[in-house]
Amino acid sequence: MEDIIFELKDVYFSYLGKFPALSGIDIKIDKGQKISIVGANGSGKSSFLQLLDGLIFADKGSVSFCSQELNEKMFDDEKFSNEFRRRVGFVFQNPDIQLFCPTVKEDIVFGPLHLGFKKSLIEQRLEKLIDCLDIKRLLDRSPYQLSIGEKRKVAIASTLIIEPEILILDEPTAGLDPQTTRQIIDLLTDVNMEGKTIITATHDLHIVEEISDIVYVFGRMKKIVKSGSPHELLDDIALLKENNLMHIHSHRHEDKTHIHPHIHWSHHTEEH
Amino acid sequence: MINRNFVERSILGVLSFLQDSFFSQDISLRNGFLQSLDPRIKLATFLLFILQILFAKSIGLLFFLYAFCLVLAVFSKINLIFFLARTWIFIPLFSLFIAVPAIFSVFSPGEALAVWNVLGVKLIVTKQGLDSALFFVMRVLSSVSFAVLLSITTKHFELLKVLRILKIPQIFVMTLGICYRYVYLFIEMIQNSYLAIKSRVGSFTHQKKGQEIVAWNIASLWKRSNYLNEAVYKAMLSRGYKGQALAWEEFKIKIKDLFWLFSVILLTIALNLK
Repeated sequence: MEDIIFELKDVYFSYLGKFPALSGIDIKIDKGQKISIVGANGSGKSSFLQLLDGLIFADKGSVSFCSQELNEKMFDDEKFSNEFRRRVGFVFQNPDIQLFCPTVKEDIVFGPLHLGFKKSLIEQRLEKLIDCLDIKRLLDRSPYQLSIGEKRKVAIASTLIIEPEILILDEPTAGLDPQTTRQIIDLLTDVNMEGKTIITATHDLHIVEEISDIVYVFGRMKKIVKSGSPHELLDDIALLKENNLMHIHSHRHEDKTHIHPHIHWSHHTEEH
Repeated sequence: MINRNFVERSILGVLSFLQDSFFSQDISLRNGFLQSLDPRIKLATFLLFILQILFAKSIGLLFFLYAFCLVLAVFSKINLIFFLARTWIFIPLFSLFIAVPAIFSVFSPGEALAVWNVLGVKLIVTKQGLDSALFFVMRVLSSVSFAVLLSITTKHFELLKVLRILKIPQIFVMTLGICYRYVYLFIEMIQNSYLAIKSRVGSFTHQKKGQEIVAWNIASLWKRSNYLNEAVYKAMLSRGYKGQALAWEEFKIKIKDLFWLFSVILLTIALNLK
């Protein structure tokens, strides 16, 4: 049981009590797993991740973290809150939200500084991260001066510097060029190899296979409609179509027009 | 046709002014004298200069301090014409409207220098009035020049950090920092919203419609800032923020900074002894 990091039982959540975001979610996440959450826009992926990070709390059902029930009161306990924030790191979907300090460096050190890390340790980790992510030249710049790829790298750095055991990422590769996407996937794979749990919400089915042991598909009804290995799910064309994760694609080859289902995973491997 | 681009001109003009004045870090990144100083020492010494200006009793001292400020600007690799333009913009705002009436005998009686007859009313410019107006303008000019010199030779985020030496609570400094960070984002949002509107309705906008567009923009910006407010707070919580803001200190005082500090103190003492 020690290996279960998060366990959600029949969890419901709604905004302002009237806009449902999650309806009856049951899920168990084990230590060291790579989990992907896929689903159409508005299927509740971001709300689910925020729930795991203790930023919002379930209206109904139970959420537990390492066998401890997670609720708002728990976070009033400074010791628990500190411990939880040290163990769970969250990379927001919009880096402009995550990067709120006047400079990149202040943003990166914000987490460890507020979690009470020693200055020498922060400096040591910062050095390691800026080498790893190649962001040294960005340190004194303001986040508004960065490109979207740079912002995402810095947002990831600002969470990785805490060295959390569980890393939650909300669409970490959205809007990125292929090379930056590759760098981020490699980074996540490396982090997972070190034994950390990775939970990623994404639309990008290209990356799902590499960053997941189990994929959960969130449906329009704000609940999990299927879970399984990446191959199992990515081969279920009907499911992907139903959940807006693939589309009908039309293109020309020489003088012939082909129309076939297309997913952003295995480009053009379908037979024509 | 004059009104055709009124909204566009106003929005883009204001935004460009904000970007130039708040976000231009070009000068603060140059390899000049003031840029090389520790921001805390720089702020302390500039406060000394400004206090000196506020308590100065001779016009000569004000001229000396203003000239000294210009010399510092030159040594900090600032184009003098740019610097004069930047500082003189503020002078009418802060002083001209107050100083002009003071030159006349109505407010400053004394030895007449010039007399005008306007619609049967005698306007007499007095020596005492002119002296006090000049004194006032020089005081404002010197203070504004030092303040502008400090702000353009220091990175804005360093200036914010330095506010702590004035014992301003960290929570205010952090709030200012976040404002500084997000004002730019909002500027971008306004520009993009305006371009999106322009791409759909063209450049011609009736004045009334233009007012509506501005009102929509304000409302939309308010909603977005409200959303950002909540989201940013969550991002802070997620990284361990517990209501008490902490700052990353990394300023280092060098021998050059100490030398500058002692020189300014000595200069202040010397000017006061005189």
